[in-house]
Amino acid sequence: MIEFLASHTPGPHHWLVLSMILFSIGLYGVLSRSNAVGVLMSVEIMLNSAAMNFVIFNKYISPAAVDGQIMAIFAIAVAAAEAVVGMAIFVAIYRRRWSIDVSTMDLMKD
Amino acid sequence: MLWQAAYTVLFYLFAVAAISFAIGVTVSRRLLRAAVYLMSLLLTGAAIYVMLGAFFLAGVQVLVYVGGIVVVIIFAVMLTNSAQLGLATSPGYRKVMAFAAAAGMAIISCLALWTSKFNLSAATVPSDNIKAIGLKLLDRGAGGYVLPFEIISILLLAAVIGAIVIARRTTAPGQPFTTRGDEPAELANSTLKTQLCIEQEEQKV
Repeated sequence: MIEFLASHTPGPHHWLVLSMILFSIGLYGVLSRSNAVGVLMSVEIMLNSAAMNFVIFNKYISPAAVDGQIMAIFAIAVAAAEAVVGMAIFVAIYRRRWSIDVSTMDLMKD
Repeated sequence: MLWQAAYTVLFYLFAVAAISFAIGVTVSRRLLRAAVYLMSLLLTGAAIYVMLGAFFLAGVQVLVYVGGIVVVIIFAVMLTNSAQLGLATSPGYRKVMAFAAAAGMAIISCLALWTSKFNLSAATVPSDNIKAIGLKLLDRGAGGYVLPFEIISILLLAAVIGAIVIARRTTAPGQPFTTRGDEPAELANSTLKTQLCIEQEEQKV
């Protein structure tokens, strides 16, 4: 049993499939949620899985360098800025229309 | 030997945990619950970073994501009254289309992963890469990241100022500041009525 587990340590493909599944779940959430805050949460899942991809390739392709980890740090910083501005926009829209349903946000459509 | 077996077990444990938390975030009908699922997912992500040898990134993940972004999202849920509004569900056809798009994305990514060859390196991650990250972030030479580092600080400053400007309550000059100043009259009456109903129910109990 222990020999079997020790000979099946996860390789890059296992990690990449995990982050790809997380990204797809986030995509489903972005497209199916009707509340804008729920959409923001799903976008955070997608950003997190993309940052995870950088770290995976850093580990398996150039372990001595740290470029992938630095890219992940930048992705986290941009995600923080995006969440703050998103919250401000949702609060402003809610104050004006008393709803943050994304299907009603079609002001710029026509 | 034992360590590698434990690594495999931990990988599948964290993978199942992360996927189930992500499904919880996307399908949970109550948004506060979804926010708690998101916090658990991000903590699992920090554990995954530790398994990948990125210790500094795991700390950043806990500090920025769990300590900052989840709090901002919970503020957004509270300030937009989404704890109640979140109960509204989107129509079924939109869910079907979203599932089709996500499944297509997964299939295409799987095919791309299946057909691509990576230039794998057999070396292991050095355990003291935190110093290397710090030096690389402030390196002004070729391959250094000092310019993106400074631009990120400007971006964060702009985001904070922009958030204040967008979310600031604008009242007409001469008007007294009220917490429900720009609420429509019929909505104010209806919320007052529901408040009265709740109080009456409480008195009955």
